[in-house]
Amino acid sequence: MKIRAIAWNTFGSFLRNKVILLISAIFLCVLLLFSTPLITANAMRGSMTAAQTEGMVLSMLSVIMGLVSGFGSLLAAWAAADAVAAELRSGTILAVMARPVRRWEFLLGKFAGVQILMGVYVIFLVASTYIFASMGGESVHAPLWALIVYPLVRYAMYAALAMFLVTVMHPFVAFGITLLVAVLSGIVVPSSGTSSFLPVWLRSSLYVVLPSTGLLSESRFLAITQASLEKTQWTAHLTALAYGLDYALVLLLLAMLLFRRRNLTGGTAGSL
Amino acid sequence: MSQPAIEFQNVSKIYGGGPMNRERVEALKDVSFEAATGEVCAFLGPNGAGKTTSISLLMGFLFADSGEIRVLGHEPGDLRAKQKIGFLPENFAFYKHLTAPKLLRFHLELSGQPADRPDDLIGDLIAKVRLAGYEDLRIGKYSRGMMQRLGLAQALLAGPQLLVLDEPTSGLDPAGRKEVLDLLLALKSEGKTVFLSSHILPEVEQICDRVVIIDHGKLLRSGTLAEMLSSGNRVEIVVDQLPETVEQSAVERGATVTRDPHGIKLVVDRAHHRELIEMLWAAGSEVLRLNPAQSSLEALFLQTVAGPKEIA
Repeated sequence: MKIRAIAWNTFGSFLRNKVILLISAIFLCVLLLFSTPLITANAMRGSMTAAQTEGMVLSMLSVIMGLVSGFGSLLAAWAAADAVAAELRSGTILAVMARPVRRWEFLLGKFAGVQILMGVYVIFLVASTYIFASMGGESVHAPLWALIVYPLVRYAMYAALAMFLVTVMHPFVAFGITLLVAVLSGIVVPSSGTSSFLPVWLRSSLYVVLPSTGLLSESRFLAITQASLEKTQWTAHLTALAYGLDYALVLLLLAMLLFRRRNLTGGTAGSL
Repeated sequence: MSQPAIEFQNVSKIYGGGPMNRERVEALKDVSFEAATGEVCAFLGPNGAGKTTSISLLMGFLFADSGEIRVLGHEPGDLRAKQKIGFLPENFAFYKHLTAPKLLRFHLELSGQPADRPDDLIGDLIAKVRLAGYEDLRIGKYSRGMMQRLGLAQALLAGPQLLVLDEPTSGLDPAGRKEVLDLLLALKSEGKTVFLSSHILPEVEQICDRVVIIDHGKLLRSGTLAEMLSSGNRVEIVVDQLPETVEQSAVERGATVTRDPHGIKLVVDRAHHRELIEMLWAAGSEVLRLNPAQSSLEALFLQTVAGPKEIA
């Protein structure tokens, strides 16, 4: 009951968070701008070959979906870092922690609040996938549950990482490191070939340590054309999701461990 | 004798001094005091004395570097203790997007109670702190005084046995302060323990049983209010005239002399008052009044804080 109360209160705070609202509005405008060339490409189907039109539409869709998915990672990292930091900054945490609430319950409630926000975002992500595909004159062939569950688990990893970092450092630094991890985890994938400048031992180590977000990318199952749709065994789904959840859980447990002994007030001479 | 509600034993707290923050500040140095169950204990000290640090340690927000703290028989932060504590922090901050009833419902849930109780606890509390009529107003639009009233309402929410109040009358108008004092007196009569810090000493004096004074992180004095105010055991003598020779003798005996339109006031230890009166009579002075010296908490506080920084 306590965790649920904290989670819904956190979600309510996010809905009125000016930074989140502003960035979301800007992002929505960017998406709307992208929709124009998509509609144009669809309208030009008669003047180009079918293969040319489809290629153009699919590449645009790929960019848009990449943007939507990437923004989700940013949102998860920022929301998780700010959820705890804002409470400490404003002092609202004091009245909450004066109640019979354990520190881990507070952190879990905050994490659950971030996940509710990301749940809403994933619904937006899935809806936009279908809407943009439809604008381009294509249809989506993918298991709906995978489009929902995979990004949620991926965002849970980023949120847990940011929450772990913010227990020991400034939220901006925590957010920056989370972003860096997200970028690095994308480029150290052996198949990507974008990290050839790194020594093999470093690339391999980073690949093992950093979250494998490629494994948890819903784009593996998202096929716009029926021909490219691949069947995935349920064991593969289970392994990938268990990996992501395990990663998030470990980070969250580490965050709880550090938060147990964290000072909740400013802890400076000024707050004597 | 019942267990003290609050117990500090040789508590020290140091800020900084580590590799990240080299400025080392000793916020508390070997502080020990107790507050008995059912008492109103005033925790006093000038700004920067260590009051907020002590309260943060008491509530489990910070951790002491050495010493032991017990709250209602448990360690700070223990859930069994927190269930029985109502807390009002200094500069209370709330979720600005909520309304007062929503905030109180949220805190009720955090206390492990259902948010929708059959009795109108929340409505009653809102009325008690004079916020009725503002139920639909977001907290972000509240004035400082309204915030303070709401803070008190949430502190009283779960029927606490111990109230820890950091500046409870801050931001309130005189009528509001009077109401808070009456409320605290009512809580005291119900047998609740109140531990409060405040800078408004005449008000504190009206309600407190025990006083703890700290400054620069050190305990200066602690004891019951009655003990403290009578600790000087001094007598006030008011005379119409004071010859210079008598004044000199009085001062040599530790008397303080003040002059105002109502007469000349000498305050002297009870051990010397008879001798001094005889000297005054012999010099032709008329004794207009003779009373036990009335000290005030404010005078005591100022005298303690300005005096040598030693434990009384």
